[in-house]
Amino acid sequence: MAMQDTDLTVKAAAAEASADTPLDAPVRRLDSWREMLRHPGIVIGLAILLTLFALAIFAPLIAPYDPFDQQLSRRLLPPFWVEGGNPAYLFGTDHLGRDYLSRLLYGARISLLIGFGAAGIGCLLGVTLGVCAGYFGGVVDRVVSFLLTCQLALPGLLLAMALVFLIGPSVTVVICVIGLLHWSYYLVVTRAATQKIRDLEYVAAARAIGSNERQIMISEILPNLLSEIIVIFSLEVGVAVLAEAALSFLGVGIQPPTPSWGLMIAEGKTSVFLRPWLIILPGIFIFLLVLAANLVGDGLRDMMSKKSGR
Amino acid sequence: MLRYAGKRAILAVLVALTVSFAAFLLLSVATDPAAAIAGEGAEPEVIEQIREQLGLNQPLLAQYGHWLSAISHGDLGTSYYWRQPVSTLILDHLPVTLTLALAATFVALIVAIPLGTIAALYPNSTIDRFALTLAVSAQATPTFWLALMLIILLGVIVPIFPISGDATGWNYVLPAIVLGAHSVPAIMRLTRVGVLDVMGSDYIRTARAKGLYGYRLLSRQVMRNALLPVVSVLAVQLGHKLGGSVITESVFAMNGLGRFALQSIVGGDIPTVQMLVVLFALTFIGLTLLADLLNAWLDPRLRLT
Amino acid sequence: MRGGTAHNRVLMALAAVGFAMCGWLPVNAGPANDTMVVAIEGEIPTLDHLYTTARDTITLAELTDDGLFYVDPETLAYVPAAAESYVQVDDTTIDVTIRTGVRFHDGSPLTADDVVYTFSWVLDPDTKTNRGRVIGAWLDRVERTGPMQVRFHLKHPYPLAIRDMAFSVQLRKKGAYHPHGKADPNAQAQMLNGIGPYKVVDFQPGKRVTLERFDGYYADSPKGRPAIRHIVFRTIPDLSTQQAELISGNVDWMYNVPADIASNLGATGYATHLTGPTLRVNFIPLDAAGYTGADNPLTKLDVRRAMIHAINRRDIVKYLIQGDAEVIDSACHPLQFGCEQNVRKYPYDPAEARRLLVGAGYPNGFEVELWAYRERQAAEAVAADLAKVGIRVRLRFVTLTTLNQARKNHRVPAFFASWESGSTADTATIAEVHWSLKSDRNLSKDAVVARQMEAAARTIDAEERKRLYSAALKRIADQAYWIPLYTYSQNYLVSNTLAFPVTKDGLPRLFRAHWRANAVKASN
Repeated sequence: MAMQDTDLTVKAAAAEASADTPLDAPVRRLDSWREMLRHPGIVIGLAILLTLFALAIFAPLIAPYDPFDQQLSRRLLPPFWVEGGNPAYLFGTDHLGRDYLSRLLYGARISLLIGFGAAGIGCLLGVTLGVCAGYFGGVVDRVVSFLLTCQLALPGLLLAMALVFLIGPSVTVVICVIGLLHWSYYLVVTRAATQKIRDLEYVAAARAIGSNERQIMISEILPNLLSEIIVIFSLEVGVAVLAEAALSFLGVGIQPPTPSWGLMIAEGKTSVFLRPWLIILPGIFIFLLVLAANLVGDGLRDMMSKKSGR
Repeated sequence: MLRYAGKRAILAVLVALTVSFAAFLLLSVATDPAAAIAGEGAEPEVIEQIREQLGLNQPLLAQYGHWLSAISHGDLGTSYYWRQPVSTLILDHLPVTLTLALAATFVALIVAIPLGTIAALYPNSTIDRFALTLAVSAQATPTFWLALMLIILLGVIVPIFPISGDATGWNYVLPAIVLGAHSVPAIMRLTRVGVLDVMGSDYIRTARAKGLYGYRLLSRQVMRNALLPVVSVLAVQLGHKLGGSVITESVFAMNGLGRFALQSIVGGDIPTVQMLVVLFALTFIGLTLLADLLNAWLDPRLRLT
Repeated sequence: MRGGTAHNRVLMALAAVGFAMCGWLPVNAGPANDTMVVAIEGEIPTLDHLYTTARDTITLAELTDDGLFYVDPETLAYVPAAAESYVQVDDTTIDVTIRTGVRFHDGSPLTADDVVYTFSWVLDPDTKTNRGRVIGAWLDRVERTGPMQVRFHLKHPYPLAIRDMAFSVQLRKKGAYHPHGKADPNAQAQMLNGIGPYKVVDFQPGKRVTLERFDGYYADSPKGRPAIRHIVFRTIPDLSTQQAELISGNVDWMYNVPADIASNLGATGYATHLTGPTLRVNFIPLDAAGYTGADNPLTKLDVRRAMIHAINRRDIVKYLIQGDAEVIDSACHPLQFGCEQNVRKYPYDPAEARRLLVGAGYPNGFEVELWAYRERQAAEAVAADLAKVGIRVRLRFVTLTTLNQARKNHRVPAFFASWESGSTADTATIAEVHWSLKSDRNLSKDAVVARQMEAAARTIDAEERKRLYSAALKRIADQAYWIPLYTYSQNYLVSNTLAFPVTKDGLPRLFRAHWRANAVKASN
């Protein structure tokens, strides 16, 4: 009953997140790494992600300069391939004379932190709600579905902007606000999957040997949802990275001097006609990160739907 | 059908109430409109007086009640930042955003549906791959970045389109592309899956057996069924566009609701922002309700509860 | 970077080809339509200058409004505008005769009743005009002494009375704020009935203001008759979009352009770069009084001194602000009357700054919020310099409205301030609003400075005023209540068809702009 009331909105949302997630297909696990490594999308995506992770983690070793070190006398140097470039500053310097390459590298830390942090918070919320709704059904399901409908109705970006602005912008606030506003797709998918699993034999068996509800949900149901969750998670990382970039670009996200790619584009855009690289370079980094997350997510989903025979 | 519609409407009203309360709560707690209204350098007594006038010392639930009843009487309040009634402001800014959202949806449709259909008709072909690559790339491109790139390319280097403002129809071309690009992937995927599904279904096989082929088959049987789910996604997308045009409107200096919202946020005009959040939510709820009913009408199976 | 890199040249060449190809583009700016399009970054929420201090609205009000007096931008002397003449009867009485033939945009003549109405409205604390407090501090009341005569009764001697009448009080028609017999402060916000050389023909809040030359403008106005028929103010929030529109010929005039962009774009030949002086100074008041916490680090003198030593103001001026900008040491513009230069100076010395911080008990530095609403790059540069000595700055970049609100609630420990002194070369115009104990801009709570500043603004004796300002400014520098930064250089980018006389005081007077002779010919 509750399902019917909201199902179209929910389906629409699910379709938006993952047009061909096999909502009604039998649940399968992703069990073969070898198989994954044969999928070109996943390989490329993982390669980019791992590279960006490595750059972020080892930024202090790789970055030629301190990303906060301001040398006003060397501001706005062009990158090495443009006339007047200085090989000591490969990607040139920004409006305060800070090394652009170093800031891009440290920017990877911020984007990855926010992408994974926000997707993680959303995951925790969405999966908890989804599993509870799917497992208990009835009133719980109806309440959760109602919550979902409400959440979908709220204008996310606008609310995020207002909240970050009111609370005061910082990395933590941005992570929390984006995370709190992106849990619906986890919910939709885990709820449907849980509904299918809960009546399966092994769950009944667990119940028979006296496991309580919490144990069943955590140790019997959750592990079976892992593949679905990973798919949504990787797609949501991309969404969160874009959301942060948008907030920072509009001036209601990460604040200077923190190197955020979105903020760097905002800072560079005043001289976009004279120094286009200032916005092209961080744009490419954002693109690569989001692309990688989406490739991994799409690829995994692809494999799952193939396995489930679609 | 009537019973079904009634149920949907009641649910929509409940959602609207909850959402408006959430917007009220989230944004009221953090601000003191009294101080803002009093103006620069106002004495504390003056602020206190305004607080009383506005009923800001009453319990939150009572305040919400007043707020709601004012809205239901069509009184959206007066913005202290813009010094005008909020309803006038919203009406002033609505046409631009509405035009932009519709134009963007149109752009998304004319790109996504043909691409999705062709991709489905020739699975794993070059076109299918191209479509998927396009979808993934579009999803990964930040809106504001795309906007700036288009301004440089089509606004300045090869000045085909105007760059900013909303004076003529030409002004909407670049913004509509930017905003539309965002929903191409979802609609395209959905179309592709829908067409794939329908093509594999029994009744298409029957139709083929009856001798229906090619274009007639596609238009008569496939598209009608494949596009059913697209209708509801379209409503969601249109709703998101109304609230999601902030960036596009800002970069292209269009005077729509999105930029108005951003200006109000950074201007600290929270009551106006509350109204906008509620307005967008209501529009979204209305659109999805409409889509639900439309879907039920097109596909009677859904009506059977 | 002069002349642009190879890359720029390619870009610009491509642009030139593009323009040649696309002559059909709708162009609404330029001499062909006799319409000057002015690009501004911020939005104009109200037309009524009595209710805002925003920079763009001042520029706009110069066009739509006149006061009783006007400052000649060449000589910086005060000359009668809507007034015909005035007589200083005694220290606290001024008689003003109103000029005949001055008309409002609705066609009605200006009379003594209108002047009395305007000033009474401003003086009424309930109307909450932005200028009310400043005017109310010296003006007791205005009395009608004849159909075209009014008498100003001052509360005490005040040297800047004429100046305030010139800049702060735009004249309104009697009843302008009582449209239906009821007082309504918003009455002039949407449609303005002024007496200035241009009248508003269309206003779309936050978007554009369209002005048309007012044919009934009094011929003997010191502003003269404007050359250009239409002026359009367009809000284009994005500086890069503004540049694009200027290059494409849809915008004729923009200001507040960062120096390097202005000079680089000017060098490409697609627009003309103009630069001029202003009376604007930038500085950072510090919460010495402890509003944001009774013993926050800024309450300690050595910390405040360390902060000034830590900032490389010379480099900021040389590389970031450029042009005619200079480092300042005193809390005023060096050109202003009474601006004492012989004050304690704090040269750039990070080592000394660190030593002072250790002495004050902050060997590991501290965290502090710096609020700012403009000059983003300079604010960031200041923050980076402070970070080098261990002061971790959290930059809060907000709009002016938000900053004002936060400051009123005492949530601001330090803010990046920029003050233009109403284009007036007198220390009083920066002192009063920043050092009065009633002002929330005053984070020092220093009663001595407040008393000296107030006394200086209440005497007409020049020597005595100088002495008072000197004492107060020395104390301010000694106590390091402010981080004095630099004077400012205004950069404009204008289209090649436009001639725009840059003014000495930095306030743009757009009614003096005209098309270049060859441009008009070319368009005919």
